[in-house]
Amino acid sequence: MSISKRAFLYVARKRGKTVLLFAILLIMATFVLTGLSIRKASEAAQLDLRQSLGGKFDVFVDWSNSPYVVKEPVKDEADEKTGKTASSFLMYSTVQFTPEDIAAIKGIPGVKHCGARQEDLLPFDGLSLFPGTVSADAKYQGYTMTLGTCATEDDELFTTGTLTLAEGRHISANDTHTAILSQDLAERNGLKLGDYLTAHRYNAEEEGFTGQEIKVQIIGLFTPNTVEQFGATVATYDKIQNRVFVDLQTSKEIDGGTINYGFSALHISIDDPQDIARVVADVKALPGIDWNAFTVEVDNETYESAAAPLATLNELVVTLLVVIIVVSAILLALILNLWTKARIHETGVFLSVGIRKSAIIGQYLIEVLLIAVLAFGLSYFTGNAIAGQIGNHLLEQSRQTGPEDDVAAAAAVDVGADDLIPKPLPAENGIQVSVGLDSLAQLYLIGLAIVIVAVSTSSITVMRLTPREILSKMS
Amino acid sequence: MPALELNNVSYAYKRGKAVLQNVSAELEAGKMYAILGPSGSGKTTLLSLLGGLDTPTQGGILFANEDIQKSGLEHHRRNHVSLIFQSYNLIDYMTPIENVRLAAKLDAKPILERLGLAKDEIARNVLKLSGGQQQRVAIARALASDTPVILADEPTGNLDADTAEEITAILKESAYSFGKCVVVATHSADVAKQADVVLEIKRGHLKERER
Repeated sequence: MSISKRAFLYVARKRGKTVLLFAILLIMATFVLTGLSIRKASEAAQLDLRQSLGGKFDVFVDWSNSPYVVKEPVKDEADEKTGKTASSFLMYSTVQFTPEDIAAIKGIPGVKHCGARQEDLLPFDGLSLFPGTVSADAKYQGYTMTLGTCATEDDELFTTGTLTLAEGRHISANDTHTAILSQDLAERNGLKLGDYLTAHRYNAEEEGFTGQEIKVQIIGLFTPNTVEQFGATVATYDKIQNRVFVDLQTSKEIDGGTINYGFSALHISIDDPQDIARVVADVKALPGIDWNAFTVEVDNETYESAAAPLATLNELVVTLLVVIIVVSAILLALILNLWTKARIHETGVFLSVGIRKSAIIGQYLIEVLLIAVLAFGLSYFTGNAIAGQIGNHLLEQSRQTGPEDDVAAAAAVDVGADDLIPKPLPAENGIQVSVGLDSLAQLYLIGLAIVIVAVSTSSITVMRLTPREILSKMS
Repeated sequence: MPALELNNVSYAYKRGKAVLQNVSAELEAGKMYAILGPSGSGKTTLLSLLGGLDTPTQGGILFANEDIQKSGLEHHRRNHVSLIFQSYNLIDYMTPIENVRLAAKLDAKPILERLGLAKDEIARNVLKLSGGQQQRVAIARALASDTPVILADEPTGNLDADTAEEITAILKESAYSFGKCVVVATHSADVAKQADVVLEIKRGHLKERER
């Protein structure tokens, strides 16, 4: 009679033991499968979170330590009210980032966007602006914030979704004398795509934008997705609807000098926050950038705060899995050990008819595996039923272990425009736990290992005896 | 040529107590042997050694002139000897025919029928049979395994006199009709009477009893 036939007869005829072992294996398998599924869901949520949030860091002129920083005194100004004069300085770096540097950074794997701006407050001829909620300094009446960039699609306001390009196209590196403004501002001034805005070059002697006329063509219109909240204080030039994007060439022309030939700061966003150290290292390794002039500031707090509960959950689940697997193996080994001792009579009979010890252990193994296959299969349904609830309960526990402020902060993204765009996090409403076939396959592998270990250890005590010793124990 | 040969076999327990001392004997096919001796004299030990369940401290056991330890005890148990026990030693979750098929080389059903088990009995749970029937199943298992030697340890010990007589007759018939070498360890004088050769263990020595 074959091993498998003997095993099948045992499983079929010893129904009480079969049902008991089935129940034990089902419970174990359900816990293991639940753990595996939660771990998988937690990892998926972390990946989702990473892809959703991304990472970001800033590179800017090291104003304190750079040897290239120049501080030039400018004409003293007298305060209109007090009559006192105050000294002011023009501070700039002679080493700046160029569009070529930006292109090289964008070529680094993992870099999503590399944004850079020259910011200027300046007036455009005849442009009617939306009024702010606070009055600005008299000399800035009619001024608005102009953002000089070599690619608006990489600008943080666009990449974070604060602004959306509604019409036309983005400003690119090769553009000159182009502008993008808000749809609202265009409507207010009866402007459309293809129309021109007029600005003037900065005149250092007159300390104003009274120099040569510069015309820029409107190539795009944006719509803001957020506005300042009711009661918020914002000056006219800071209102989001009043902002005007121009190309770098235009910005430099308006600036009127050669001081600002590039950018003093870069805002770099990356695909995976876990890659941030590597990307920073790659940026620092780029040739042609003098790192005596710049410093890097990594901002990974948002991701770390949001990922903390998931990471805690993952650690918790891995620990639980190890405990469940070890306890299952020990428990199963103990139960099977008792049963094997009770089957010493049978073992002796098998040995007396010439059946090998390996074949006897093989039969015991097949018996457990026959039951395990069914129990593991059924655990797919029981695991599915409880995995979601346990997973979200554990996630909630993990959240409670972290500081609430961090979690709350992680639920919003600072868009750099003094506004916050609420951004729902992937795991904010819990994690989606479902038992997949890959988890089931893992369960079968782990279960097979547990069963082999348990059957082997439980058989050792009997199998190390000689056939006669076994038969003596029988009698 | 003897089926089994004991060659100066000695056996002592691990504690040092000698059970068998320089035992030699030749056991032939087609004969029934009875081994007599008081409890603890070494009858079961002798059967265990002949059956390859244990190994002698000294000396050797030959099957067809070959040392069974050299050819392998497992091989010896599987191919040369069959064991029958006082407590039948049947597998409780198997039917009689399944028990016989455990190590069967011959068709189990005709052997069971020849030993007097009805058709419905051979498919029934083995524990539902009487003691005599269970011992018949054990003998059928020994016969179906088609080994030249049958070793029986107190095969009638749990049976009433009539059934014991029947079982002894079956064992004797196995020796005569099937050409087996049947060795029976027993306390029973009735069983010994049926044997062709009676061997007696006294103080570790094996001697043939005069008849």
